[in-house]
Amino acid sequence: METSLPNSLGQSGLASDLRALFAVMRREWVIFTRYPSWVIALFIWPLIFPMLYILTARALAGPDGSGMAVFMETTGATDFIGYIVIGTTVWMWQNIVLWDVGFSLRNEQMRGTLESNWLSPTWRFSYLLGHTGPQIVSMFMFFSITALEFALLFGVKLNGSVWMILLTALAAVPSIYGLGFAFASLVITVKEANAFVFLIRGLVMIFCGITFPVSLLPGWMQSVAEWLPQTYLIHGMRAAAFSNAGIRELAPDLIPLLLFGTFWLVVGYFTFLWMERRARRTGAIGQY
Amino acid sequence: MEITTLSQPNLRTQLRAVYVIALKDWKVFWRYPLNAVSQIFQPIIWITPVYFMGKAFSVNGQALGFAAYSGTSDYMSFILLGTVLTNFILTVFWGMGYALKNDMDAGVLESNWLTPVPRLLILVGRTLSSLLVTTITSAIMLLIGAALFGFKPTGSVLAAFLTAIPMLIGLYGFGFAFAGVVLLIREANTLVDVSSFLVQGFSGTNFPVKSLPTWLIPIALILPLTYGLDAVRGFLLGSDTLLPIPVEIAILIVFMFGMLWFGAWVFHRVERRVRTLGTLGQH
Repeated sequence: METSLPNSLGQSGLASDLRALFAVMRREWVIFTRYPSWVIALFIWPLIFPMLYILTARALAGPDGSGMAVFMETTGATDFIGYIVIGTTVWMWQNIVLWDVGFSLRNEQMRGTLESNWLSPTWRFSYLLGHTGPQIVSMFMFFSITALEFALLFGVKLNGSVWMILLTALAAVPSIYGLGFAFASLVITVKEANAFVFLIRGLVMIFCGITFPVSLLPGWMQSVAEWLPQTYLIHGMRAAAFSNAGIRELAPDLIPLLLFGTFWLVVGYFTFLWMERRARRTGAIGQY
Repeated sequence: MEITTLSQPNLRTQLRAVYVIALKDWKVFWRYPLNAVSQIFQPIIWITPVYFMGKAFSVNGQALGFAAYSGTSDYMSFILLGTVLTNFILTVFWGMGYALKNDMDAGVLESNWLTPVPRLLILVGRTLSSLLVTTITSAIMLLIGAALFGFKPTGSVLAAFLTAIPMLIGLYGFGFAFAGVVLLIREANTLVDVSSFLVQGFSGTNFPVKSLPTWLIPIALILPLTYGLDAVRGFLLGSDTLLPIPVEIAILIVFMFGMLWFGAWVFHRVERRVRTLGTLGQH
């Protein structure tokens, strides 16, 4: 009597891939809420990181606030706290994505579960994508709490449409997370990549004008800034939040953001495929 | 039958243990040379936005508002000096609390704890290598910072250095207490980040504490680091100090003894508690 065996016990298909994706998302959410320090991350960080720059700005303004008038004139800002908060929040967004999404596969590797997960008959990109879902939810909470805290404690008032702010943030999602995907794949290859996070977030900090207008930078630095999507995000967010900018005024920021987003998503996905092939060939998945 | 212990702890063996711990950390650090590059450039990256922001506040290159608070319009020297001292402050915070967390994650904390070396000595050992690294990287950072932004100390370097010593020793007390808290709550990253950031902010790393809103000034004044940063700047930059410098030094010396005692007390209490609970190996 002949016994027929299935070719593989795993029956991969769209439904199973989606199930795997949701399983990864659920696991990440459970881990996120398991450590109470997420409360600090969500409530304290949005307040204290911008505070350092806000307090420095107060010191630079002088006891009579005379320097503030110079700052307002130079930057065109109507609210110096709001101006700084938007820049620093964008920086924090990119920073958190690099640590969370960028190190997601590496953390799996350190826990010793990456290799066994890799052997399951699932869509491997779901491991990376699954990290992104809860991350976007937590970032949305992060932004809402930031807006609420600065409105309640410092009287920062939005002078624009919330929808335009959301639209600008949405346009930046592909570039912010695409960069995170590319980074996650590279981290698996180079292992200790903290210095690369410092490099990327450092570029944002120096060139994108988180606390000052990019026009204050020397010419060559302004040219570098033009190649960083966060420059457009910060500029667009400030215009949407405080200058009541509509779609027409935001278009010069939204179009580059979408173009950069497409580029980084493609780079992110193909870097992942390259890493996956390379890891299988060299057996690097289990090494750390 | 008489039971004797195989370990023969004495001053020499304990110093050897401290040396071995420091050597291990030194090797691990230089195994990843990019970490050193990062330590040099990170602080410069963090203060670059302040440099350009300062330009947005300046008239004819003079930060007059800043001078009214601090007694010097050279805000970049003020901030560079604050950054160097903060590097050392962070080293003690990270060096002990974070090192314990790393040991927990790597699963070696329990076995290290079984060695006949005083626990506080293990903690001190974990900071020695990073203090040396911080000294090297801070010196390079200061040179690069001076080239990029300008750094013009005008006063006595020796007096400033001697003033910083009781502050740093007192910080060890902070570090002991903090390491105890890490043992208890286990998840250290956020705690280390937030607390060091707050201490750094309120003690006036980037700005004179006089410029803080009135309701925040008392927080700055109860932090001994405020007086350390203030006195060092007073010596090196000739900036206005909150109190006469001898009074600030006296505060730092009291802080040094007080914090060392308090930190060691907290650490021992917490350590006994986690041993009783049996949670030392958990993370």
